Amino acid sequence: MIRRYMKKKHQEEKQEKCGQNISVKLESKLDDNIQQLKKLLDEPNDLVIRQFTIGAANINSAIIYIDGLIDRQLVQDSILGNLQVKSVSMELPKESTAIFNEIYQTFISITSIEKGNSLADVLNGILSGKTVFFLDNEDSVLVMDTKGGESRSIEPSTAETVVRGPKAAFVESLGTNLSLLRRSLQTPDLRFKSYQIGKRSKKGLVVAYVDGVINSTIVKEVNRRLESIDIDNAPESGFIEQWIEDSFLSPFPQMNNTERPDRAVSALLQGKVVILLDGTPFVLIAPVVLGDILKSPEDYYERWLIGSLLRMLRYLGAFIALLLPGLYIALVTIHPGLLPSDLALSIAASREGVPFPPVVEAFLMVITMELLQEAGIRLPTPVGQTIGIVGGLVIGDAAVSAGIVSPIMVIIIGLTAIAAFANPSFTIGITFRILRFGFMIAASVLGLYGIILVYIMINIHVVNLKSFGIPYSTPFAPTMVSDWKDLVIRAPMTMLTKRPKFLATEDSKSANKGVKDS
Amino acid sequence: MKFFEYGNEKIGGKEILIAIPSMLIGVGVLSLPRNISSNMIGSDGWIVLLLTGVISMLMVWLMARLAASFPNQHFLSYASIIVSKPIAIVLTFLFAISFITFAAYDIRVLGHISQQYLFDHTPVEIVTVSFLLVVVYAVAGSRAALFRLNIIFFPIITIILLLVLLINIKWMDWTNMLPVFQTDFNGYIKGMHTSLLSYMGFSIVLFYIAIVERPERAPKLVMIGMTIPIVFYVMVYFACILVFGYTATSNLLFPTIDLAKRIEIPGGIFERVESFFFVVWTMGVFNTTAMAFDVAVLALHSIFKRIKKMQLILILSPLIYYLALLPRDTSQIVMFGEFIGSYLVSFTFLTTMLLIIVAKIRRVKHNDKTTI
Repeated sequence: MIRRYMKKKHQEEKQEKCGQNISVKLESKLDDNIQQLKKLLDEPNDLVIRQFTIGAANINSAIIYIDGLIDRQLVQDSILGNLQVKSVSMELPKESTAIFNEIYQTFISITSIEKGNSLADVLNGILSGKTVFFLDNEDSVLVMDTKGGESRSIEPSTAETVVRGPKAAFVESLGTNLSLLRRSLQTPDLRFKSYQIGKRSKKGLVVAYVDGVINSTIVKEVNRRLESIDIDNAPESGFIEQWIEDSFLSPFPQMNNTERPDRAVSALLQGKVVILLDGTPFVLIAPVVLGDILKSPEDYYERWLIGSLLRMLRYLGAFIALLLPGLYIALVTIHPGLLPSDLALSIAASREGVPFPPVVEAFLMVITMELLQEAGIRLPTPVGQTIGIVGGLVIGDAAVSAGIVSPIMVIIIGLTAIAAFANPSFTIGITFRILRFGFMIAASVLGLYGIILVYIMINIHVVNLKSFGIPYSTPFAPTMVSDWKDLVIRAPMTMLTKRPKFLATEDSKSANKGVKDS
Repeated sequence: MKFFEYGNEKIGGKEILIAIPSMLIGVGVLSLPRNISSNMIGSDGWIVLLLTGVISMLMVWLMARLAASFPNQHFLSYASIIVSKPIAIVLTFLFAISFITFAAYDIRVLGHISQQYLFDHTPVEIVTVSFLLVVVYAVAGSRAALFRLNIIFFPIITIILLLVLLINIKWMDWTNMLPVFQTDFNGYIKGMHTSLLSYMGFSIVLFYIAIVERPERAPKLVMIGMTIPIVFYVMVYFACILVFGYTATSNLLFPTIDLAKRIEIPGGIFERVESFFFVVWTMGVFNTTAMAFDVAVLALHSIFKRIKKMQLILILSPLIYYLALLPRDTSQIVMFGEFIGSYLVSFTFLTTMLLIIVAKIRRVKHNDKTTI
């Protein structure tokens, strides 16, 4: 908090300094304005200044935009064409302000248009893909939304794949993302609250929520935190997440990210906030609790029995991913007596000739596994997969036959890695990977007792953690039994009639029983 | 509309209900059957367990009612209203000491058991200090979080205990019930004493009612909470008597853990289940210790308002560690336990009685919101 405060103060001072030159009012002379604009931007070659005259009186005017950010067709048809062609045949008033209003009222056929009167309006406008119209002897300008240029089309999600369910994923354009939300959630109560994030590069950010469902305190808290954001540029929603999360020391994610509109919509209807940032397909969902991070949208698309079993499997996978290497170390090094003699013998036989103690062996393999994972992600896709699989096989197989690791260790590590991947979010997988090392170190020192101590510590951390004021351990531990229907199991659709109680929604009934609220 | 009432530092009804069994069920239940059956013949122990249980229920009800009649007030502030400030400070201080020693005892017994069932070579100093550090981490967090931990861990230890009892049904020998009603009066008195010791710790209600959301419901809730350990104790006692017989039970150091020794997991994935039982039981001991530590911190914090909570924790933890390592061997640990138990029993009993009687005589106005 102190850090944020100091930074904010510092930034305010700085902003005063750099704000001097752009917050000035515009001149009335067209040439002065253009000169100043050119000076400010240092005459870049993608800045287009199209000067022309209007009407029979030949009044000087210009449109200014940045090439590549605008839709050229739109500018030609709706602005330039209209101004040049129509104005000739029409009688224009004498006074420049009246002409300006006339143009605003009748000539320009652009849907979104604003008046501006400062250099800052002009600059922010053209940098975000708008076209600005200047008229000589007039100190206001028209800022017209002509956003265009190259953008990616809507494609299937690559980070969160499902077998069944909508395939479309968010894209980099904020407008498209908002329309995706609107399209799948057609309610007049859907609210979009806009922000401009970034001191140097202004990025659009939208907080979406469903009014009448969400608890207004959450919206207030999210807004309060968003207003505290103070960065130069936000290239990804991860920047936003790290600014507004509750605890930056926690290994647990306090917000979910998704690129699937269906997941965002289901979060909205539960009474959560969705934060969309321009320039990234990943949107943030807040608040989030421990139970949420092991849920997948597919749980709801399959029938409840399958959904429940898969979810239980995922919980089991989470425990395996966390505990298995630690348990192996504890049982083999510290408590060999706890294993049945047959199993102990077969482990001992498989470890024969391995020069390292199990702890070193386990760390060696886990670190190799982490390296393989990281390498697999970084490499280009076609190479990456091959390298991942082949590297794993070759290293595992060669290491075993060279006698550096035991085959049973390879099985343990393989199982752990698979279990860690069997969760719906990549972020929580990283959390498990970090915590696994804690268990392994504790197990190598204190055995099973060490494991339980680390487990208790993780629990202590989780019960102390909050996400936007909501205890992270809800609904396990401020106990809300009614929310358990959609936690480890996923009850039949007809039984899921209530929104999560822990979100304290204003409208507790869910849409399932045909209640007309969403 | 009140927003996220469960997210603030207040605790609800469920939390205080679970806090009672979480506090009581710790290391005591592991040796309880031995302590009872070394004084009583046959299966007579259940009588004293029930009797002392009912007495404890009555006590906890009285305490909760006393504390609840001063809503949102700490022990020190309402004790000051009843019996002048200096006496209240002395009482609070004595409570703090009792809970500090209680925490120390718990930690030591845990270290002791771990040496019996889990490690042979790891020194008890390491085992205790690592446990103490985890407890410190918990106490350093928010108080409401401590109650959430109770709610998470208590079902786990309940399930494992019930499993152990259920599986042992196979080995139960009903002739071990005999003889009945053979204990003499002296035996009953001794049995009452030891069994009362195992119910100690419920005096946390004097301190925790202050943060309960609707204190007027608290007396009923803590009574319900109190029935859980009574049922558990009686079940564990019967299971030990039926499986081992009372003479064998009185000779086992930790008969409850030895119950787990009998279990064989089909398929033979693990042997020596008692080690796993003990490891899981660490969570129960953790709850007890953390709450005892927390109450000590709470009590001292109300006296020394200037010292920060974290500083208090850091001052107290070496003290607890020192106390925990004071007893040298098993017999000294048992003596330590007896001493703490007797001190806690008599002190809690006398203090509560004193406060209630003085409050009645002086007709202290309830809901007197003078200070917090």
